[in-house]
Amino acid sequence: MIELWWLSVPVIISLFLGLKKLNSSITNPLYKALTNPVFITITLIGILLVSLKLPYTQFASHSQLLSSLLEPAIVALALPLYQQFVHVRKNFLLIVSSCTLGIINATFIATLLSWAFSVESQLAASVAALSVTTPITLLVTDSLGGIASLAAAMVIFIGLLGALFALLILRLLGVHNHQAQGVAIGTAFHAIGTAAALVEHPRIGAFASVAMALSALLTALIVPLLYPFLSQALL
Amino acid sequence: MGCLAAAKIIMHWLQGSFPAPLLAMLILLILLLTKVVKEHYLAPCAKPLLNFMPLFFIPAGVGFIEHLGIIAQQWQFLSAVIILVPLTSLLLIATLICAFKGRVEHD
Repeated sequence: MIELWWLSVPVIISLFLGLKKLNSSITNPLYKALTNPVFITITLIGILLVSLKLPYTQFASHSQLLSSLLEPAIVALALPLYQQFVHVRKNFLLIVSSCTLGIINATFIATLLSWAFSVESQLAASVAALSVTTPITLLVTDSLGGIASLAAAMVIFIGLLGALFALLILRLLGVHNHQAQGVAIGTAFHAIGTAAALVEHPRIGAFASVAMALSALLTALIVPLLYPFLSQALL
Repeated sequence: MGCLAAAKIIMHWLQGSFPAPLLAMLILLILLLTKVVKEHYLAPCAKPLLNFMPLFFIPAGVGFIEHLGIIAQQWQFLSAVIILVPLTSLLLIATLICAFKGRVEHD
């Protein structure tokens, strides 16, 4: 079995691209959201590893090639940020305030829930920085003393929920403003939500990219200061 | 990649905890705004990275299988966090922006 680990990357890529192609041919918005290629690929590979009792650590080390592209992809976010700079400059204060509000709310609600469920401090720290893209979550959660890989998995699931339902919820509530949709999705659902928003409409995707990038910056600055204060007051 | 390398070196020098990819993104943004790097020069490299960004999260996403014990034990707490944290942020931000800009786009 062990010699088949080199298949990790080709399996992920072909599964993801196949599902992406299938998903792009679907026009019904609900079916499109439910057949999200990231969600299905993660679920299928997770089921495969668990049912065959294959260690995740080995899978992770053999798929390092893909994970290592995450950092350059984050740097590439400078492009949509630059392209949308006109809108950001015009609405700079509003967008920064919105992102700040979203980040403070996310840490506050997570700490409040930790208090309500009386969870231990390590688990509470693991959920304090979820409103941000995965690498920042890993770094911030680690610095707070939480379980970084659990936080990363939760961030992915939050992103998936965002890709599936965020636009549906906003439209149901009558929010059709691209700026409101984009900034809310980018802050609350980070990269996967942003990727889904980019597919839905380039303008929503651009605002989501801006909000996601700003949230990453603001989370790295705010959460390490805010969480100790909140945990001392509540936990 | 140059920006990323530069950011990693800077962070190593400063011994700071600020994430290097984020600093690199800011450096690249400044280079674009100051026209040192041209948009058309960057786009062929950046667009595929942005288009396939979800692919790079898949290995980390599969990591949830490592924590099935905690997930089974604390599923009510984790479900509440996964639903309420982003939902409240989504609604708060959408409400704030709609209050200033309206529910439908005008510009």
